[in-house]
Amino acid sequence: MIRVQNVSKIYPTRFGEKLVLDDISFNLDHGEKLGVLGRNGAGKSTLVRLISGAELPTKGRIDTSMSVSWPLAFGGAFQDTLTGVDNIRFISRIYNQDFEKNLAFVEDFSELGAYLREEVRTYSSGMRARLAFAISMIIEFDCFLIDEVGAVGDARFHQRCNKELFGNRGDRAMVIISHDASYVRDHCTRFAVLNDGQMVEFDDFETAYSDFREKIGIGQKKQPKTQELPADRRQLVETTHSVAVRDDAFTVLIQDADWKRDQKRWEEAEVTYEKALDLYPYQRSYWVQKGHCAKEAGAFLRAEAAYRTACALGEPFQDVRPHLLFTTKQLRISLRDYPLHNYTGTTAKDQPAGIPDVLLFARAAWQTAHLSDQELLDLVRAGETLDALLASMIDDPRFVPGIAPESNAAQKISGEPEVWAKNLVVLARPSSASEDAIAVARRITMPQDAWPVLMDVDGFAGWSLAQAAIERRSKADG
Amino acid sequence: MASTSSDRPSLRESLGIQGRVIGALLIRETLTRYGRHNIGFLWLFVEPMIFTLGVTALWTATKSVHGSALPIVAFALTGYSSVLLWRNMPGRCIGALTANSNLLYHRNIKALDIYIARILLEFGGATISFFALSLVFISIDWLAPPEDFLTVVGGWLIISCFGASLAITLGALSYLNELVDKFWHPASYLLFPLSGAGFIVAALPPFAQKVVLWIPMVHGVEMVRDGYFGSQARAIYDLGYVIPFTLALAASALMLARYVSKRLVPG
Repeated sequence: MIRVQNVSKIYPTRFGEKLVLDDISFNLDHGEKLGVLGRNGAGKSTLVRLISGAELPTKGRIDTSMSVSWPLAFGGAFQDTLTGVDNIRFISRIYNQDFEKNLAFVEDFSELGAYLREEVRTYSSGMRARLAFAISMIIEFDCFLIDEVGAVGDARFHQRCNKELFGNRGDRAMVIISHDASYVRDHCTRFAVLNDGQMVEFDDFETAYSDFREKIGIGQKKQPKTQELPADRRQLVETTHSVAVRDDAFTVLIQDADWKRDQKRWEEAEVTYEKALDLYPYQRSYWVQKGHCAKEAGAFLRAEAAYRTACALGEPFQDVRPHLLFTTKQLRISLRDYPLHNYTGTTAKDQPAGIPDVLLFARAAWQTAHLSDQELLDLVRAGETLDALLASMIDDPRFVPGIAPESNAAQKISGEPEVWAKNLVVLARPSSASEDAIAVARRITMPQDAWPVLMDVDGFAGWSLAQAAIERRSKADG
Repeated sequence: MASTSSDRPSLRESLGIQGRVIGALLIRETLTRYGRHNIGFLWLFVEPMIFTLGVTALWTATKSVHGSALPIVAFALTGYSSVLLWRNMPGRCIGALTANSNLLYHRNIKALDIYIARILLEFGGATISFFALSLVFISIDWLAPPEDFLTVVGGWLIISCFGASLAITLGALSYLNELVDKFWHPASYLLFPLSGAGFIVAALPPFAQKVVLWIPMVHGVEMVRDGYFGSQARAIYDLGYVIPFTLALAASALMLARYVSKRLVPG
């Protein structure tokens, strides 16, 4: 039994005290498995450290009448400058266990072979994970603490870990904290959500999960505050993945979409992927997923556009090839007639276009965000370079130069700009511009504003085709 | 079975756990610091021996004045070995928690165990070095055997206890404030000439004697020399000062260690 009574944890920081856990109480009995969901920084890891005894609560008390593990698969518990074998010897001594027996188990489970006699600092992250997990299994704890498993190692290793943990040790108590809601759902018997230092327990996973989604602001149009925009489109494309996976709103949508995909609810899955991509339109791997869902749902126009977008954003063609070829075959076209444009890490104007670029240009030049599937696909197919695409869209009769926003109205705006406004500024703004990119993005509050603001900051400078098209426009109008 | 139950184990069990943990930490610390390459853990005392030999050679060459008739070799050996004792223990304990905080995930390891393991290692190294060099010098007749062995041991233990208390105090303070680390280095250099390593108290003018006798390690060094040379030189020390001082420091060390372990945040 673990009895957590009115536990609070306060960390002193430079800016005063930070209350991480606020008066938390719960009991955990033998064999119970508690899953705790919570956003980044909600205090999940702090809770685990407190239960493990590595840290003491500021207020309240934690009594344990069963042995509790250290946070599982946690690599820090061993010493880098020692060999794997020395680490096993150390743990065996600390817990008064038979070293030879433990060594045999770790050798068998970790499959590290001769590497066990090398210093741990020479290990790859996968090897570390294997050693860490194997060492965690040598002590027979009554309760296992599991903190964010599953980032490393191959599928077979995961299976063996799951078998060892939930099969052979299925009778133990566990506290599992994770981003990965499906992991929590599959392995826990009790569920709780940690938010703003408060922990709320729920009877079943579904209610816990919907509360968690609500807490992290899905559907509430709340966006993470941007400090700085990427310097150019190349940076945007190449860093978007690492930014996106740290955004809880994004990961939860993706999780949701993955579940729907696994249940073959293709249309719903596609819509959910699209919602996630609205937050990070340049995240290429989920364009592939969206393409798969569209393909399975029979929406081949959308599938082809999505696959082409993925390639334009850097997804290797070989990975997409069979799906794209299947789709084009259904549409009775050939890649010879409509060549695929692969990502090039050059300046924005020479990079190939994907759906996000087409939509951005449509907002700026045509003042619309709604294009038909066919139209979208045509523009993506033709978008060998962004420069050419934009020129063709300026030459299009739908082009509207927009209305300049009143300057004093712009002064007041200090909130978070919309995703499309930020991305548009990243694309169009010359890197030499003096005005802060985020300030430019704030000036764009409506589609009508976009074009005048971009022209005002010398947007699309050096885009020769687009500039020529603008010239033609002004002559025709003038 | 891991003993992490809240049912209090008996004192004997507790001592058993404590002994096992400190033993494991000692071995781990030795392996981490000296590895298995070349002479391995022999470095534990070879390193302080090289230091002491170097200083002995230097002082002999420069014919350092220390104000007594004692041979310089004997003087350097007793003086510098004591410096190693009180200087290296704090040096090892400062920052020890930050570097090892991950160990605290093992329920049986406490902050104090980490300090104790490091202090024992330093104590062992300095003691073996002092003992081995004494034997070597005695066997080649550079040094007479100590007149009163137990007084030497007593003085040595007093310096060790002082060094250990200082080490835990500074180690715990260094977790709270990194300035401790910055100040300890200059402070230990400045204390070195004042610590009794380079003079004997009796040779100082009366005013200076009063001042240096405020410094606790001076008493320990004097006591070690008292045991070694006894009749040849007059040693001045006051157990009535240094023992209460060390006990008070030890009490504050334990309180600080407890204060810090309540506020530890493992990495």
